[in-house]
Amino acid sequence: MSEATQNRTFFGRIAANPTPALIWIGGALLLLAVEFGAFVDALILFGEQINPLVGGSQDIGGWYVDTMYDSLGFAGGTVMSALGALLVLAVFSVFVKAAFVPFSIVETLGLEDLPISADLLERSIVGAVLAVLWLILLYEPLAFLPALPLIGEPTFAQLIHGFAQTMAGIADWIVANIPTLLSRDLIPNQGFLPPEGAAAEYPAGSEILGARIAIGSYHGTFLGLSPAAAWAIRVVTIYLYAFVWLLWVWQGYKTFRRHYRFADWTPRDDMVDRLSTHRWGQFGFVIVFLFLVLAMFAPAMGPTTTTQNIYNPYGHEFQYVENGQVETITHGSANLQSASQGTPDSNVGVMNYDDYGRFHPIGTLSERANGKDLFTFMADGARVSLFIGLLSIALSGFVATALAMVTAYYKGLADLLVVVTSDSIQALPGLLVYILLSVVFSSHPISNIYSGGFLLALIFAATGWPALWRAIRGPAFQVSEEEWIDAAKSYGQRPSATMRKHMLPYVAGYLLIYGSLTIGGIIISVAALSFLGLGVAPPTPEWGRAVNIGRPYVTTVSWHIATIPGLMVVFVVTGFNALGDGIRDAIDPQSEGSGSGEAAAAGGGG
Amino acid sequence: MSRWGYFARRLLLAVPVVLFGVTITFAIIRLGPLDPVAAILGPNTPPSQYARVEEQLGLNRPLWGQYIEYMVGLFTFDLGNSYVIQENTKAMTLIVQHAPRTLWLGFWSVLIPLFIGIPLGFYAGLNPNTMGDYFASFGGIIWRAMPNFWLGVIFYSVLSQSGTYSEMLTFGLVNFQWDAWLVTNNIGTPPPLNFYNSNGTDLFTIGGTTISLFSFDWEVFVRAVKMVLPPAIVLGSASMGNEMRLGRTAVLETINSKYVETARAKGLSRQKIVWKHVFRNALIPLVPIILNEAFLLIGGSVIMETIFAINGIGYLFFQAAINGDMPLVGSLMYIFILIIVFMNIFQDFLYTIIDPRVGYE
Repeated sequence: MSEATQNRTFFGRIAANPTPALIWIGGALLLLAVEFGAFVDALILFGEQINPLVGGSQDIGGWYVDTMYDSLGFAGGTVMSALGALLVLAVFSVFVKAAFVPFSIVETLGLEDLPISADLLERSIVGAVLAVLWLILLYEPLAFLPALPLIGEPTFAQLIHGFAQTMAGIADWIVANIPTLLSRDLIPNQGFLPPEGAAAEYPAGSEILGARIAIGSYHGTFLGLSPAAAWAIRVVTIYLYAFVWLLWVWQGYKTFRRHYRFADWTPRDDMVDRLSTHRWGQFGFVIVFLFLVLAMFAPAMGPTTTTQNIYNPYGHEFQYVENGQVETITHGSANLQSASQGTPDSNVGVMNYDDYGRFHPIGTLSERANGKDLFTFMADGARVSLFIGLLSIALSGFVATALAMVTAYYKGLADLLVVVTSDSIQALPGLLVYILLSVVFSSHPISNIYSGGFLLALIFAATGWPALWRAIRGPAFQVSEEEWIDAAKSYGQRPSATMRKHMLPYVAGYLLIYGSLTIGGIIISVAALSFLGLGVAPPTPEWGRAVNIGRPYVTTVSWHIATIPGLMVVFVVTGFNALGDGIRDAIDPQSEGSGSGEAAAAGGGG
Repeated sequence: MSRWGYFARRLLLAVPVVLFGVTITFAIIRLGPLDPVAAILGPNTPPSQYARVEEQLGLNRPLWGQYIEYMVGLFTFDLGNSYVIQENTKAMTLIVQHAPRTLWLGFWSVLIPLFIGIPLGFYAGLNPNTMGDYFASFGGIIWRAMPNFWLGVIFYSVLSQSGTYSEMLTFGLVNFQWDAWLVTNNIGTPPPLNFYNSNGTDLFTIGGTTISLFSFDWEVFVRAVKMVLPPAIVLGSASMGNEMRLGRTAVLETINSKYVETARAKGLSRQKIVWKHVFRNALIPLVPIILNEAFLLIGGSVIMETIFAINGIGYLFFQAAINGDMPLVGSLMYIFILIIVFMNIFQDFLYTIIDPRVGYE
């Protein structure tokens, strides 16, 4: 790369040589376009899960205020409520400033000369705006303005609500009308063999973009193939699609490296090289990739949908053939008849069809779970596990990093305080605290968000940060002893800037290692809790509950109910551990065999 | 700093840790949205009765008063009465009743991994990159990743059908009945612990004097061991994998160190090198791991005791938690915190004795 290009910014370098970047972006857009409907669908789903968070925030806030007033009297309650509100505002304003305000408010308003730190001032301004918006939403003063030239009584909250509904309508239209490559509309697997003489009434195959092409003779399935084959084709296509994405992202990284990177070589190149010869880490990566795709594409993965299978089985009907007649039955009634009960007469095992011509890749659940399809259950359960794992690792990682920076920079008392706090939290026996907290909060409004998954993520974050902090404390201390930190201090750089610019980059890699090593433990703990009947509330699927449901049938023909979910946990946890090992050896090759990371890896503690 | 000064400091630091841990527990129980009065009376209770019970339990007093009383109670080991599980029974009585079975389970689940995990790890470390090493290492990784609750369910089910499975595996040659092997026992009942009787029934006479010794019932002992083995193996599975992996790396590290090279150079036999120089030094990093298992065991015992129907303190905790029995939950937490904190200090103490190179920091 020549001298001239080196002095440009990243976007400047792209503007100077746009072809490779455009090719890559074009490919990415193409990949996105064939799945646009599913993408919008996922956004809708996300919105649905966020909704109770927004609606429930008032309940949760009310609960906090009530508790404080009840237990601390009037004065204490007022102080604590105000403190709580300030804390929430502070957290939100930092987040909103970082995520949604890309420009400097202080510079725009011309307030640079005020004798107060610019960051603090910006956050205070954002916080004040948020506070005003919050009060408006709470008390709706617009409703009292009769001069408002709008029809009816539109309050501010209603305006927002109306906007959200319009957006939801647009999203729904997109989902309904734009074909998606990997959907059960394009590759359906629900169908039946039409009886003799009714072949004209029930033509073979399904309609694909208006045309009907049939290879097999099934009615309603993709190309008229058997439901099993149609389902297999869809799953294979999904994995192919995800694999193409993976290759394309890798291609993007290579494009960036070849054409747009400032430096010809960075230490990260060596890490990537080390990982590319680390077979064990790659094995972990493959397993984690399979798991991630299963979780992300869960709605299209199962042979049936979660709505039909789990949430509203009696609201959906399908057709099947019995005694030469085409009959209609609800999914719920059919599920009950195809439950796996441990006897050969009533069992739908691995790779089997039930009496209604529906295909079950890994069998069905028992009558206790209304004979639901196990694969659909597992795919959706993978989502729940992944959501809890990622969210709690992100939260505890954030807390741990912030504390590690502060303790390594200031040392002394700050370090001692965090040591005592983290020791106290670690002195509480893990699983027992999870049990206790899940029971205590089981009727609290916060447990309605994602069927308690959000609460679990918070619990694991609150109890998990000490271990992460312990793991990155050492590296953070090492960095804080370096000469460049001294230089930055004497140069007069603000502590927060020193931590962020000169310490954080050296510690972030360790966070990745321990994050991937602990996520397996979280998956096991979540499963253990739902095995005990706590945590994620039914009907939302969770892997551990499947093991509990299948407990009586392990030695019978219905062995699949408990065995397959358990094996899946083993594989996923091993995969995350192996990936963590790989990342560790890539980032920190000297640590190989020193064993500090090995103890942190997830064990079957649950 | 001297060793004793270091431990005085450790003990001093343990005080705020215990205090803070207990305070967290109190905050969860009392500030959380759990209503013990409703848990005792059930739903649809008239308000007058509700208020009466609330006053009886002292729950209507100011929170700081309750907090001080709770802390004083804990530190004088006056742990209060159970609310729900067994009304008006002292929490301590319940804990003492249930503890022996959990201790028995915990003892074996520490012991079994020690005698399987460490030898396997050392074997793998002494023969690195052989088939045996790969087999042991990979097996250990998978074994460790198995969730206890699932492994427990599988063990329980397979053992209860051991006859069918052994016939299937050996083509009908062997019919192995686990529940009839050596001594008969039921699977899924708590192990009997009355093999030891300190009052003594065995009497024998030496030189005219009758001596009463404690009696030891071998059959009951074997039964107790046999019944606790499956849950103990499962509970120790994670520890076994840990000890194996760390044992392997420790041996590899020691065997490549300079003093082993010196020993080899001066012509010591391989056996002597392995036992005197490698084995003893490789044990050092394993000490903290072994004691750390206390965490896993305390948590994991809840699940094992639920699956194998052993009514120990893990099971007691689970029942107390889901029934809203606050004093019992609080006291159990307190005891667990004490065990873990003192285990940690003991571990550091042991560490400085075994390895004097460890600094007092």
